[in-house]
Amino acid sequence: MKVTYNWLKEFVDFDLSPADLGHLLTMLGLEVEGMEQLGGGMDEVVVARVLEKNQHPNADKLSLCKVDNGKEILSVVCGAQNFKQGDTVALAQIGAVLPGDFKIKRSKIRGEESCGMLCSEKELNLADESAGIMILSEDLPLGTPFFEAMGLKDTIFEIGLTPNRADCLSVIGIAREIAAKLGKHVRYPTIVVPEYGEPVDSKISVTIQDATGCPRYAARFISGCKIAPSPAWLVNRLNAVGVRSINNVVDITNLVMIELGHPLHAFDYTQVAGGQIVVRRAGEGEKFKTLDGQERILTATDLMICDRERAVALAGIMGGENSEITDTTTDILLESAFFDPPTIRRTSKRLGLHTESSHRFERGADLEMVPKALDRAASLMAQLAGGNVATGRVDNFPAPRALASITFRPERANAMLGLSLTAERMAELFRNLEFQVQPVSNGSFQVTIPSYRIDIEREIDLIEEICRLNGFDQVVATMPVAQVISDRPSLHQRLQRSVRDHFVAEGMHEIVSFSFIAADAADRINLGADDSRRNGIKLCNPLAAEQAVMRTTLLPGLLETASRNMSFRSLDLRLFEMRRVYHAVVGQEMPHEPIYCAGLITGNKDQESWCQQDVATDFYDAKGIVENLFEQLQIRGVRWSADEPEPFYHPGKCCRILVGNTTIGSIGEIHPEVLKRYEIEYACYYFELNFEELVRLSGNRKAIVAPSRFPDSVRDLALLAPLELASAQLIDCVKSLKLQELEKVTIFDLYQGDRVPEGHKSIALRLRYRASERTMTDDEVQQVHQKVIATLTGKLGVAVR
Amino acid sequence: MGVRYSCSLFPFYSILKFLKGTNDMREQLEQMRQQALSAIAAATTEEMLNEVRVRYLGRKGELTGLMKGLGALSADERPKVGQLVNAVKDEVEALIEQTMSQAREEATAKRLATERIDVTLPGRGRRQGSKHPITLVVEEVSEIFAGLGFSVAEGPEIEHDWYNFEALNFPPEHPARDMQDTFFVENQLLLRTHTSPVQIRTMLKQKPPVRIIAPGTVYRCDSDATHSPMFHQIEGLMVDTQVSFADLKGILTTFTNQLFGQKTGVRLRPSFFPFTEPSAEVDIACVICGGSGCRVCKQTGWLEILGAGMVDPEVFRHVGYDPETISGFAFGMGIERIAMLKYGISDMRLLFENDIRFLKQF
Repeated sequence: MKVTYNWLKEFVDFDLSPADLGHLLTMLGLEVEGMEQLGGGMDEVVVARVLEKNQHPNADKLSLCKVDNGKEILSVVCGAQNFKQGDTVALAQIGAVLPGDFKIKRSKIRGEESCGMLCSEKELNLADESAGIMILSEDLPLGTPFFEAMGLKDTIFEIGLTPNRADCLSVIGIAREIAAKLGKHVRYPTIVVPEYGEPVDSKISVTIQDATGCPRYAARFISGCKIAPSPAWLVNRLNAVGVRSINNVVDITNLVMIELGHPLHAFDYTQVAGGQIVVRRAGEGEKFKTLDGQERILTATDLMICDRERAVALAGIMGGENSEITDTTTDILLESAFFDPPTIRRTSKRLGLHTESSHRFERGADLEMVPKALDRAASLMAQLAGGNVATGRVDNFPAPRALASITFRPERANAMLGLSLTAERMAELFRNLEFQVQPVSNGSFQVTIPSYRIDIEREIDLIEEICRLNGFDQVVATMPVAQVISDRPSLHQRLQRSVRDHFVAEGMHEIVSFSFIAADAADRINLGADDSRRNGIKLCNPLAAEQAVMRTTLLPGLLETASRNMSFRSLDLRLFEMRRVYHAVVGQEMPHEPIYCAGLITGNKDQESWCQQDVATDFYDAKGIVENLFEQLQIRGVRWSADEPEPFYHPGKCCRILVGNTTIGSIGEIHPEVLKRYEIEYACYYFELNFEELVRLSGNRKAIVAPSRFPDSVRDLALLAPLELASAQLIDCVKSLKLQELEKVTIFDLYQGDRVPEGHKSIALRLRYRASERTMTDDEVQQVHQKVIATLTGKLGVAVR
Repeated sequence: MGVRYSCSLFPFYSILKFLKGTNDMREQLEQMRQQALSAIAAATTEEMLNEVRVRYLGRKGELTGLMKGLGALSADERPKVGQLVNAVKDEVEALIEQTMSQAREEATAKRLATERIDVTLPGRGRRQGSKHPITLVVEEVSEIFAGLGFSVAEGPEIEHDWYNFEALNFPPEHPARDMQDTFFVENQLLLRTHTSPVQIRTMLKQKPPVRIIAPGTVYRCDSDATHSPMFHQIEGLMVDTQVSFADLKGILTTFTNQLFGQKTGVRLRPSFFPFTEPSAEVDIACVICGGSGCRVCKQTGWLEILGAGMVDPEVFRHVGYDPETISGFAFGMGIERIAMLKYGISDMRLLFENDIRFLKQF
């Protein structure tokens, strides 16, 4: 909503600078989002008189003028033809800066000196087009700044209104707020309609077929109008608040809408068959051409203004092309009505047709303003378009509504707000808002609300008004008195933090990618046709195809992030993401939103350094990160199964991660085809874990064992094993013996190559033996060790090298 | 195993000589002493001194050999000669020890005097990871509110219209719904446009008193330089028997002071949210210019960081609380906005581009 400082002053007296007024409005909840000086910084454009107008000696189309600015006579070259000697004009003097950052300098034009420029409306941003320079009224004092002399100096406020304040969508509404805050009275315009002759009833009839959609419809008949451009003051006023001038009649309806907040519509009377207005719902599929030339297809919920035969306006939103005011219009049917907000909103949203009028009706207009706005516009039409207003007005108002009346308890207001205002002060605040206050028993008030404050329906609304008008800055901060609640963060919350901390400690950077991904992401990551992760929840109204489906895996986001970083030559990446994925659950209304944690690593293992060689990161770096995480969360019994590989991995370099029979995640090298689809040229290693499972399985702590105080014995064992033998089988086999004296077994070497028979590999185990209560003798160690060897060779078919 | 001790026959010969007479032996002892002393004097390293020790004092050393030979002497002479031998042993031992510690000191001094590294070479650091700034802000804000007795609550992102709008007093066809452009999913579901539905879910689950914050991801159908279709909020809710608007101001002042530093000015302005009344926009004195006016605060000296208000009685009715006996306040803030102010990030899109060169700075 735009409003100007001078316009407000017409309705309320105040003694505030524009800046102070802006602050006052903001602190009332009418947030000033911008302020613009009209004619600001243009004091070098002054009123001047043309003393001489001569032909430029060197140019046919230019004239050379002598111009009096009240102080001196200046010579100015001018290209316009529409003026004569003795005219009063607007002179932009040297130093003036016109809109578009156009600086006026002393110059020579075709050899003649020019000390300024005679201005057109366009050059001063007063009109979109102008035929020549402005010719001003003769009585303006020479030398005064043009904008000041014309009364155009003003400040425009751009106010961001909250949707509850429909009453402030007008100059009068904002003036009311200023008056209430300052304890002043609003000067409402006095409206006198000069009525002539024939009664309106003989010209216009109104039938409301749908009183829900249209509780009130008033109209007047104005004949003999002369459609013409509006006078400059009206054009300028509308321009200032962002409304384009059309013609005098249309401009008057707009002016009244801005001034009083009530949208009006002017019909060409001759196009309203029989002068009969019928308000009804549209037929399903009915077509209607609005005055913007668009054909609209209607539904049965749309409210229409019709005549005897056809629709003439889309009620409260836009008039019809068939009945709009044209240059030849003389007789006018002027509508002032009230339309049901949800009805207007539904239609306006569906058609994507948002107008100044629909904006006001859908927020709620003022029922009592209907006749006032009608009369105000009619009187202006008589005045500015030479119209004759027929006697009386039609006012079809089947069910007048009583004003709302609310019981208000001052002590409750104080308790809710933490204030200690007296009841008298509160009553004063209400009266300033033009609310009527009646004291009732036990100190309460009965407060009657004016029709334009449709946002005030309950006691709490009144409490808010007290706080607002008294000033939010008058509330002194206190700390609440409350019961002690002790609520430790849940395990789920604590572990989220632990897992993030772990990944950070592993040198990984957290990313945040969008929860919605491209619809084709499932294809790009190779998901099979029957993979349930294809059934991502789809958005009905995505902003872009790349953001159409809620992700079921974190992989696409990490791949995209890796790809984007690689395009900037960041090739060493250790990324993780820990956020929700979204799974539709059959038979359940609400989807499941588990948190997943995933990591992607690529590039060199270590930072570029003088003391470390560049070694490419690999599967086992990724696996180490995950293993350490399990260790930290105390998750035990993890299995790494190469069966049923996920489709987005290299089939020979990946596995699923299980505990018991539950898959809790997967890890592997990304499939080269998938990488190609994301334009990634380097091997990437990825893991993804279901965090909800991690929480469930966490905290499986081993019993703490006091360390032995006796020496250990270490035996190394090199084994020749078939290539397909999983190393984990060796370890599991050794562990299955449950040897008390075996402290630790690790794989410390792996060799495949020339020095072992084909189809075999050499695996070296290091076994550390130690007893808890004594020093083991060589014989004892040898005995246990032999048992290990015998079991391995016997059960797994491996040979000692 | 057998080769560790190399055997010298030398001590046996000396004992045989010794047996010829004690005078001989004294002479020999003196000779041995002189030899040992000169060997010590000649030794320049710890190793050489150790060799001397082995040669004279070791298990099979020369002086040890003399001691062993004492058994052949008469009972009279044995103690006298024993004393002599011991005296020499002690003398040699002490001298070796002294020389040895001197040699050690010298060796250490020499090592310290010569060994040098280039300390300006970078260390062999492990890669450093980082949390996303959004996570950092969530953690910090959660910590501050934990100190005020607020616990963390969560709710679904794909939410039912009732929780996201209706229970929060946004009736269908109400213009207030325009304040939040919504992504819709089928079956009355939508992507939550704010974290406020967590208020509803929490109050439906528990009776007052309630003190929660709800950090989370939210979505709006809007994308430009200052709007992201996905962003983050932290919601707060406190309900108790006598909570006032002044208390809201107190809690938010405490919070902003802790987050942005002591004495960050706080200003409440009237505003409108369907689920609170009175409603306020909360501004803090600009953290960039301190309130004097700059580009970030658009010359106003104030930065809008929060929306807040007293819980609307209609909301309490939706969750079965009696608005006559309890009261409460709610507030909500944009995490991106706070992260941008806290870290001086100029463009919100940086938060979602995940450029490693950006992330590494946190």
